[in-house]
Amino acid sequence: MPIAARTHPHYGGTLRVEIQGDAWSLNAARNSSLVRGLIFNGLTRIGADGSVQPALAVRWTSENNDHRWQFWLRPGVHFSDGTALTSSAVESSLTGSCGAACPWTAVHAVGSSVVFTTDSPMPNLPALLAGDDFLIVRAGSINSASGSVLGPFIGTGAFQSDGLSNAILTLVANDSCWEGRPFLDKIEIEGHKLIHDQWLDLSVGRADLVEVPAEELRHARQQHLAVVQSPPVELLALAVADAGTLANPNLRAAIALAVDRSALSNVIFQKQGEITASLLPSALTGYSFLFPAERDVNKARELRGGLTPPTLTLRAEGSATMQLAAQRIALNLREAGFNVQVAANGSRQHADLILPHETLSSSDPRAALESLLRAVGVATPAIDQTPAGLYKAEHDFLETHTLIPLLYLPRAYAIGARVRDLHLSADGVPLLAAASLEDAP
Amino acid sequence: MSLRQKLLLMLSLTVAAAVAAVAWTVLVRIRLVFEQRDREETALFVSQFQREFQQRSTDVAASVNRIAASERVRAMAFELVQSGDASPYLTEAQTLAQDAQLDFLEVVGPDGNVVSSAQWPARFGYPEPAAAATASTFLKQENLPDGSTALGIFAVRPIRGAEPAVNLVGGKRLDQGFLADLPVATGMQVSLYSDTGSTAPLDATQPVATPLIGSAPFDPKRLVSATGDVAGAARYQPLIDTARQSGQPASAILYLTARREDSVSATAIPLKSDNGAVLAVLIVSISRAGMVDAQQHIRAIAYGVAAGGILLAILCSLWIAAQVSRPIEQLARAAEEVASGNWETRVQARGRDEVGVLGRSFNHMTSELVSQRERLVQTERVAAWRELARRLAHELKNPLFPLQLTVENLVRSRELSPDEFNEVFRESTRTLGMEIANLKTIIGRFSDFSKMPRPQLERIDAKDAIERVRALYETAGTLAGQATSSDRHPAKIHFEIQLAAEPMPLDADPELLHRALSNLVLNAMDAMPDGGTLTIAAKTHRDKVEIRVADTGAGMTPEECERLFTPYYTTKEHGTGLGLAIVQSVIADHAGTISVESGAGSGATFVIALPLASETKS
Repeated sequence: MPIAARTHPHYGGTLRVEIQGDAWSLNAARNSSLVRGLIFNGLTRIGADGSVQPALAVRWTSENNDHRWQFWLRPGVHFSDGTALTSSAVESSLTGSCGAACPWTAVHAVGSSVVFTTDSPMPNLPALLAGDDFLIVRAGSINSASGSVLGPFIGTGAFQSDGLSNAILTLVANDSCWEGRPFLDKIEIEGHKLIHDQWLDLSVGRADLVEVPAEELRHARQQHLAVVQSPPVELLALAVADAGTLANPNLRAAIALAVDRSALSNVIFQKQGEITASLLPSALTGYSFLFPAERDVNKARELRGGLTPPTLTLRAEGSATMQLAAQRIALNLREAGFNVQVAANGSRQHADLILPHETLSSSDPRAALESLLRAVGVATPAIDQTPAGLYKAEHDFLETHTLIPLLYLPRAYAIGARVRDLHLSADGVPLLAAASLEDAP
Repeated sequence: MSLRQKLLLMLSLTVAAAVAAVAWTVLVRIRLVFEQRDREETALFVSQFQREFQQRSTDVAASVNRIAASERVRAMAFELVQSGDASPYLTEAQTLAQDAQLDFLEVVGPDGNVVSSAQWPARFGYPEPAAAATASTFLKQENLPDGSTALGIFAVRPIRGAEPAVNLVGGKRLDQGFLADLPVATGMQVSLYSDTGSTAPLDATQPVATPLIGSAPFDPKRLVSATGDVAGAARYQPLIDTARQSGQPASAILYLTARREDSVSATAIPLKSDNGAVLAVLIVSISRAGMVDAQQHIRAIAYGVAAGGILLAILCSLWIAAQVSRPIEQLARAAEEVASGNWETRVQARGRDEVGVLGRSFNHMTSELVSQRERLVQTERVAAWRELARRLAHELKNPLFPLQLTVENLVRSRELSPDEFNEVFRESTRTLGMEIANLKTIIGRFSDFSKMPRPQLERIDAKDAIERVRALYETAGTLAGQATSSDRHPAKIHFEIQLAAEPMPLDADPELLHRALSNLVLNAMDAMPDGGTLTIAAKTHRDKVEIRVADTGAGMTPEECERLFTPYYTTKEHGTGLGLAIVQSVIADHAGTISVESGAGSGATFVIALPLASETKS
């Protein structure tokens, strides 16, 4: 729900944000998108309309049937510590953050540009480079293995880190940001706050921006909170191991048929979710209905046959709602003859089933599909540019039943009365750089 | 065993038996009293627990009732029925349960399916059969998300104002916390055995595992008390199994360890569900340590009293036995003295009881014996003197008569011619000489007897002495050399010698022993004028050498046997009567004894017993 903006937003003020996760862990996790997007920029970014827009790169070209891409850097951009942004720095950052599952074969700096070469066509490279995984970070401050940021958080974004104190990460405005100085002087992000505490703080004015989980949207509205909500961009899926007990594809297919999506959507997520059996939402592809989402326990039992697999472990990370969803899925699977134990929250034991949620990073279906597949560790196949090709790629992957889409959920936040001009990006991240405060001096 | 020992034993046994009987009776009574007390305490506590359980059940029902009557819940039920949308109330049960401090709470819709569950939130939409329970409160095993089950007291209440009915199923856990809240007296322990955690294999038509009720094998880990695991849990198995199978309370005494102090009086109370199935067993254990300690204390006292009593009995019986047995022992010793020949023995005779009478009688008896012996000795002495005088007169008369005739013949022959007188004179002097020699012999024998020489002891073998006697008399074979026999007819006498193989050494005078044996052999030969068998046997018997001289003659009467060894007593027509007296004197000088065994017509056997030589005694 867009907020009515004043004609003249004011500069200054401190925006207080509270979240459930870690504020300072800048690996590519859900809540860290908020902070990463404030400190770092990518070569490209996704606009509010979902299209790919220039960021640190002003333009790009592809050659050789999208096997070679060249991105020209924006001139005059500096890191927050004053260091100039160079193509070498970009090459170094992308090489460091790419890790083992690098979508391109090579990247190298060429003058004021960066050239990517790939063995297979990458028509969606610009959209890909807008993702959190490929934000440009000053060299030396990224853990190349995990992609987590080490040391001082040096980027080219609208804000820079001012340190962590009492579990509050403070970001101060980057006066020399290439995008222009943000309206806010400071953003304070406090992590590990329960939803109930966040809402309480919001109601008494101790917080300006708090989270609203999808299952609490109805409740939030009942409490008359000012809520900003994205379209369903967060995919809740069930990842199924394809080794060990579940190496048998029939068992995986049985699991896919046993899950009751309706109960998850209607009850657990309070009708805020969109039932899906496809990786991409219907809004992007239009063919989502071709993937049946109905539950069929009898068929599931048939596929299981006489096999009695050993107890499977299902792990869900995150909120109590995710644990509840896991419990429900475990119950569903028991009906089909699977014995499933839900691992305790925070457990690191090996799991046969995992409940991950991935965010749709692009409005481009192909880019979104590529991003999703890469996020679950699947090598991206060559995706035909046609809808049929896209459908086939999605269908072929879903037939392996290693990832079973369940629901698409929106991302939502509640904002305080003094917050102005707050919008969400296409992937549901609050665009704080453009926000301002009502009572800023 | 002496009289004193017998008295001591009898008295001690009597007292010990009496004390043991009393102690056993007391112990049995104490045990019965304690057991009765235990039973009463157990029954009291069981009834107390049942009241407490009922109270908890009432509390649960009241809590559920309050929730069901609350405005919030009624509004929820109304909305639920109107809209049919249960999703807004997914977490309602958790909130309500937390507020009411219930461990379990479920909102069950009109269709019997769970709308919201506090203990298993993901179970919405699944049926809850407990909503149809008719009992006010009941026991139920509740399934939990982790696959385990928990036992609880439940109540079902409809939410007022909602049609069709929306029900609340609420409950509290029956677990260690519940046990900890129960009032428990000192020495009592309450534990709970339940089949929580035991589930049946998955049923394809029932996603919720069915708990195994009462059929799972006993697992000691499932017996818990307020403080945790129960020590010796495995010992409770028979009692628990009985309660589970029968569905009725059961009691038993259980020994948790080898020590009796660790035994408990246990009562198992089966806890049943609405349909009568046993879901758990409550064990009320009362320690018997106090009772065992008391019993042991009393037993120790009893043993102490018994031991003291026995000791006292021994001391008393020693004194009593001494009092009772001493005069009898004195009498016995005196009797032994008398038997050994000391007839002068006297005993102290005090009191007027039987023992005193016995003592005085004994003294009188010995006095009489002494005086009678003296009289007898005098009589025998007089008799022996008379006999000696008679024998002397008889023996001397015989040679004296011819002496007298010869002298008279000489006086008459003075008148004859000198030649005739010479002839008569020579004949008469010859007769005078013979008779005077005879007189000298007779007198010599008497003199020999009066001065028997003391034995000159040497180490000899009895066999040699016997062989010497045999050699002397066997080869003769006739009675011609017998000086005492005048007109005997020679007859054949067969000598039979029976000697033991082992040596029979003696410290004896060989000549005197030969003389004694010779006398016995001659007497035996004299006793068989018509021939017979003379047997000489010798053997060792304990510390003695026993020599037997037996004949097959006419034998002697008992009266003759009694007087046989009296000097000058003889059954022969001619004889000094000194032979056996000499034999007896010789044997007595060698510290031996001689006796005779005879009966009329069955011969006579003289038995000499001489002590073995000193080094060879056993």
